[in-house]
Amino acid sequence: MHLLLGHSWDSCCAGVLARLEARGLPARIVPAPLTPPARLVWRLDAAGLASRLSWDEQEAELASVLVRGTGWLDPAGWDPADHAYMQAEMLAATLAWLTGLPCPVVNRPSAALWYRGRASLMTWRMLLRRCGLPVPEQLVTNDPAKARTFGHHLAALGVAGAVYTPLTGEAGYLVATDAGWQGLIAVQARTPVCLSEPHGAPRPACIIGGQIVWDCDPPLEVRALEPRLRQLAADAGLDFLEVAVAPVRRGLAVVRVDALPVLEHFAPPAQSRILDALTALLVPATAPHAALDAP
Amino acid sequence: MILVCGGLADGVTELVCARLADFGYRYRLLDLAHYPASYCVVWHWTDAGPAGVISGPDWTLDLDAITGVYVRFLGPEGRMPPEGDPVVAAALQFEADAGLMALLDDLPCPVVNRIGAGMSNNSKPYQALLLRRAGLNVPATLVTSDPAAARAFQHEQGEVIYKSMSGVRSIVRRLGPDQLARLAFLRHGPAQFQAFVPGRNVRVHTVGDRVFATRIETEAVDYRYAHLDGLDVAMKPATLPAAVEAACLRAARDLDLLFAGIDLKEKPDGEYVCFEVNPCPGFIYYERHTGQPISAAVADLLNGSKTRRLA
Repeated sequence: MHLLLGHSWDSCCAGVLARLEARGLPARIVPAPLTPPARLVWRLDAAGLASRLSWDEQEAELASVLVRGTGWLDPAGWDPADHAYMQAEMLAATLAWLTGLPCPVVNRPSAALWYRGRASLMTWRMLLRRCGLPVPEQLVTNDPAKARTFGHHLAALGVAGAVYTPLTGEAGYLVATDAGWQGLIAVQARTPVCLSEPHGAPRPACIIGGQIVWDCDPPLEVRALEPRLRQLAADAGLDFLEVAVAPVRRGLAVVRVDALPVLEHFAPPAQSRILDALTALLVPATAPHAALDAP
Repeated sequence: MILVCGGLADGVTELVCARLADFGYRYRLLDLAHYPASYCVVWHWTDAGPAGVISGPDWTLDLDAITGVYVRFLGPEGRMPPEGDPVVAAALQFEADAGLMALLDDLPCPVVNRIGAGMSNNSKPYQALLLRRAGLNVPATLVTSDPAAARAFQHEQGEVIYKSMSGVRSIVRRLGPDQLARLAFLRHGPAQFQAFVPGRNVRVHTVGDRVFATRIETEAVDYRYAHLDGLDVAMKPATLPAAVEAACLRAARDLDLLFAGIDLKEKPDGEYVCFEVNPCPGFIYYERHTGQPISAAVADLLNGSKTRRLA
């Protein structure tokens, strides 16, 4: 069985499921694989790791796993404190279980990825730099004058405003008016803010195994980044990664990295190619990143 | 210049600061109890790493001048009481901490320890896989939601303990008749069981390439909570077999931890078994019992002076 760890409303899970079923391969979308009625027996001893998962009294013989979620435990019926404990336990067990699976797992998570969730671009900066990928200029400050100077510096270079992006959120807000800068000062009184230079229209791409799927055919200078994008995915230990490349004032830069690619960022033809490539990764001739305890 | 990020009310951070001061190593304390309100930060990223400053009440530190960082984040109890809506205040504090974590992750100097490096401790069975790969023996471990499997494991191993997988509510307990009677509750989700390993507890602190082993003598199952059972604890410096010492250093390096607290047990037959690695060890307990110069080694590591001070 091919296990898609995620939700049926995730178009990525649904699309891969449809492709696997079309090939006559057994597949299932499961949002939380270790919650009841699942029965897990995961044993590590001197002989190595043995892992068995059963649903409905039937052992799940896994051919592959696509990781699109972390397995959220439904809080219904739980005392909040007990739910927080059980959720932490479930996350810990699921990470260990995924890490030790002998079958292909896309994306087999590290603890850092598993527990950090959707990381901001700032978190990826060091890895991007190591791979030779440019990133927009960014400033983190709680000094209103320095924030405004950053805005003036960009304006002098012909760039209108700066983008305020909370490091713990996903939205970005263009700050370009006096009212906008005043609003930013109010936030800075409580926490440093992250400002980025604005960028042009982003061009999303998915790295799936060694393959790169662009939303639409990119110009040569964008395509020239492909070896470095492959390097980024490899260094991150991920088989499935979304990035967005956009023009900034000094040329091109990576403006988004997401270990949980969003299919809706792509037009239907690209979506189809992504799902095909992803399905091929799950039913491979060669497996993606091997299990930690693989023989 | 060394940057210490922590709370002065935290004994471990206080000890690190005291040791840096003893040795004359220059440092600045970013007191997280008062961060960000009492500090001004300006951190600028271009294509190179971060540049800029952190300013405290009476000092300014250039990021380029930082030679080492010691960080020990605080829980809500270590922070100043929030102003206004507590939910909003918590979100803003989280945002401020995220910025600081991003900076520490991207500084080129030694950071004790970077945030991502410590994440493995949130899943003990995951960490056990990494420890085994580093060459450390780990106890026979069963993670299961199957009561029959838990019973069979206990039957096979004899004495068995259970403990959380995540670190939340992390107290080690023996699996006895009371717990066996409640195994049916495993249907709600898996729990972790381990073969009880007889022998003496050994706590190892790795600081860079230095190793401090401390042997702990107690009758308690979990020596950290021996006082709760009215039991005594005695500690002595110990010497590890070379292969175990090398495996401890390898484990810390694999986990990207410049400073780690590694829990071992020495079995009666001389074999060593590893239970877990703590990425933010509260080493003060061991240093005070034994006089081992752990804080001195941390200070030297942060100063880039290796073992000069300890030699």
